[in-house]
Amino acid sequence: MFDRDDDVLERVVDRLREPIEMDPTLDARVMVRVARSSRRLDWLTRWWDWLRQPREVSIRPLTALAAAAALAGVALWLGTKTSTQGAAGLADTTVVEFVLVAPHAATVSLVGDFNDWDAATTPMHPVKNGSIWSVTVPLPAGRHRYAFLVDGARWLADPAAPRAPDDFGAPSSVVTVGG
Amino acid sequence: MTDADIVRRVRAGDTAAFAVLVARYRDRLGRYAVHMLGDREDAEEALQDTFVRAYRSLARCEEERFGRWVFGILVNRCRTAGRRASRRHRMFVRDDVSLARTPAAETADRADWDETVRWALGRLAPVLREAFLLKHVEDMEYEEMARYTGVGVSALKMRVKRACDRLRVLLTEVERV
Repeated sequence: MFDRDDDVLERVVDRLREPIEMDPTLDARVMVRVARSSRRLDWLTRWWDWLRQPREVSIRPLTALAAAAALAGVALWLGTKTSTQGAAGLADTTVVEFVLVAPHAATVSLVGDFNDWDAATTPMHPVKNGSIWSVTVPLPAGRHRYAFLVDGARWLADPAAPRAPDDFGAPSSVVTVGG
Repeated sequence: MTDADIVRRVRAGDTAAFAVLVARYRDRLGRYAVHMLGDREDAEEALQDTFVRAYRSLARCEEERFGRWVFGILVNRCRTAGRRASRRHRMFVRDDVSLARTPAAETADRADWDETVRWALGRLAPVLREAFLLKHVEDMEYEEMARYTGVGVSALKMRVKRACDRLRVLLTEVERV
């Protein structure tokens, strides 16, 4: 590959060709992002397919007027509802999606300081042939500790998030909302 | 199961099967990213981005060429990540994970040599480092390198030659000290 007097470059290449072991937990982090991406793509594909389908639409003028009135009513109602929520402080929450890849799990729950670590409060739902579990939770701004409870017994930290100190002997993770 | 089998399964909706490809190519791609970026954290980030992008555009992948195709995505991600890293001035730190896995007796010599190689590689301009790694570490033909980088074959040959010359000078300087 190199000239005879290029022993030093041969040694460099030998060193650089040695295998490197990457962190195996990287796989789980990738799959969490893939799962999120997959669900977004599914949703977009379905909408795109629906929009591309040709349709024949027939409507009576009276029905059109009634629909317009109903839409105006809904818009007015939503406006009122939003301002009420804002007054109650819910506007400060952010919806956070939690995802875990657990192909062999029968049940998975999200537990954390936001639901008093109660396994019954936030069950996760299987998607993609049951290999990926997901749930969305509205959380106020700040740092929250959480973990996954698999099959009611196995306590797992989120491989895709920073770890929290194991104060109680069980692994948990940290999610920061806002700020 | 071949890469092509897995690509077909993922395209058919079996997202979890993609994990097999990630596990299969993680270390192989990781080596290039670590050497190119000189930092494990940056390399892992580039690797994650690479796999997610590969998943999203899997429809464009020729089933039999997944390995080469995903490597092309990584080369581009490393270019972007390298520009970010150079702005942070955090290039080429010690790879303590590799050192920790080396037997104790070899650690001192090995660590010195590793440090020297990393230092010399880090002194190369990114385009020279990229050309050197693709040619001599990943063992690619110039035509293939041209497809990945968008640079002409003669320019790549020049870059590889300049990288070798520069490394030779740098390593000779070290040996004299």
